[in-house]
Amino acid sequence: MTETELTTPQSPSPITSDQVTPALACYGISKRFKTIQALDDVSISVPRGSIFGFLGPNGAGKSTLIRVVAGLIAADKGHFDILGNSSLKGHGVRKDMSALVDRADFYKNLSAYQNMKILGRITGHDSDEHINGLLDLLGLYERRKDKVKTFSQGMKQRLGLAQSLLPDPKLLVLDEPTTGLDPQGMHEIRDFILKIAAEQNVTIFLSSHLLHEVELICSDIALIFNGKLATQGSMQKIFREIDNVTIELEVEDSKTTLAFLEKTDLVTQITPLANAISIEIHYNKIPELIRLMSAAKINIFSVSQRNRLENYFLSLMEGR
Amino acid sequence: MILVKLTQNELYKIFSLVRSYIGIILFTGIVPLILWGYGMGTSHIEGQIESSVSDMFFIEGSPTNGFTAAYFIMNFFWIHIPFLLALVGGDIFAGEHANGTFRVYATRPISRVSIFTSKVLATMIYTFIFVFYFGLLTLGLGLIWHGGGDMLVFHNGVLILESSDALVRFFIAYFFSFMNMVLVSSIAIFFSTMVRNAVGPVIGTMALIIFILMVSSLPLEVFKGIQPYLFATYFSNWEQAFFDPIPWGDLFRGLGLVASNIVMFLGIALIIFRRKDILS
Repeated sequence: MTETELTTPQSPSPITSDQVTPALACYGISKRFKTIQALDDVSISVPRGSIFGFLGPNGAGKSTLIRVVAGLIAADKGHFDILGNSSLKGHGVRKDMSALVDRADFYKNLSAYQNMKILGRITGHDSDEHINGLLDLLGLYERRKDKVKTFSQGMKQRLGLAQSLLPDPKLLVLDEPTTGLDPQGMHEIRDFILKIAAEQNVTIFLSSHLLHEVELICSDIALIFNGKLATQGSMQKIFREIDNVTIELEVEDSKTTLAFLEKTDLVTQITPLANAISIEIHYNKIPELIRLMSAAKINIFSVSQRNRLENYFLSLMEGR
Repeated sequence: MILVKLTQNELYKIFSLVRSYIGIILFTGIVPLILWGYGMGTSHIEGQIESSVSDMFFIEGSPTNGFTAAYFIMNFFWIHIPFLLALVGGDIFAGEHANGTFRVYATRPISRVSIFTSKVLATMIYTFIFVFYFGLLTLGLGLIWHGGGDMLVFHNGVLILESSDALVRFFIAYFFSFMNMVLVSSIAIFFSTMVRNAVGPVIGTMALIIFILMVSSLPLEVFKGIQPYLFATYFSNWEQAFFDPIPWGDLFRGLGLVASNIVMFLGIALIIFRRKDILS
């Protein structure tokens, strides 16, 4: 690819076209299954280097869009670009992309190594060193010769991730990667996603209906309802749009704090909890409240915002 | 190059399945059994043949030799082999849908046409191996067990083929039988692209073959007009390789119809597969 140098007045250093081209850009994608409009003119842009959360309730159209991008189903309208390559040019659009759609499935009568070999052979990434390295990365090296039918769901999901990393992708698409896993398995997959995003400079496009999971790892999000895109942007930008949020304060002296909070007009609702105080406050007023509490010599041990994304998600749903 | 790799993958998958060996194991067991039974029961037939034709012809070797045994077994088995081939051809697409592995495989940067072509090639290679093994087993083992010699064919009287000629005739017969079996595999692939479980294509293939066989062999005037256009009419055309002279015109006319059916079934299968949404 020819790298066109772009300069902006604000930026003294040149920006290459590789940096400004989104990892994934969808343009007006629509898909209909008989009577159901699964996707309706969906356009999204996934920045390079981001961990992008694609959210929506069950049946919203998340998996449909991912299957369109992954080449499993054809869109009725629209197209998409992956790292600057257009889907209009055919299957080559996915040369730098890999996807793990839905749960990981395998040739169960074959071993973990053989399953890796079959997929690796397609793109020429089937050297023993590469395959064993990935199996080791995912903690499956010791079980590489075992048939996949003997694996637990968590191990299968890890093997699916190892398979998806075979072609050294620059964009990794994961459709509900923690579905069916126990809390430990979910934690392992989350850690792994963060690790590969940081260490291998892979853009991750992740669909999920687990808002807490997305809040923990994603830098950018898009929300979809009934096949239509509701919003998209960076997590910070979206959180700034949230008016009132619920936060929990863990303080040394609850009595004094409650008295202080009742006097201030920053807080709209106060609920004392067993070991903390829950308050509802405008998002932009949080820094001011903390400043005032510090000035009043109230010792604060922690300020935690609970279910921020969930609140936002629900408020959007209610508005529909 | 990619097609070679994909076909390698498909062959690897086929030969990792137990079902792919069912037919091979079955024949490995039953052909020697038939050859043994054939040897036990043909001594009186041999006597009868020799007494009836030895006045007119000199027959080299036993008239019930390995060639005749292989001919006998071919007659017996060409109706059973389609079922065993359908087990593999019927699974080639539907099995992947049922396992969910298409979801993984089809996300790779390869075209649906490449996937389809590799699966068809692998199925046809399996079909060839199957027919080759069947031929090797029946003819090879038959000749070792019952020896060679002139071959007696009963068609419009008695035809005696020299052993070197008989061998060539068998190769011709196996070639035409192989093409018929390629058609069977193509039908199985066609059904396999339509469904998401491997049982349906096997049943579908056999049901279609049996139906067409019945229509093509019914001695009713109303069906006479369409029988030349039904592929099953030519399922026993391999027998013509043992006629004298070989009716090449009829053989190639049959081959043409079988080939056009192969193209038709695979063509429709490709259209279905290219348009198919992978939802499972």
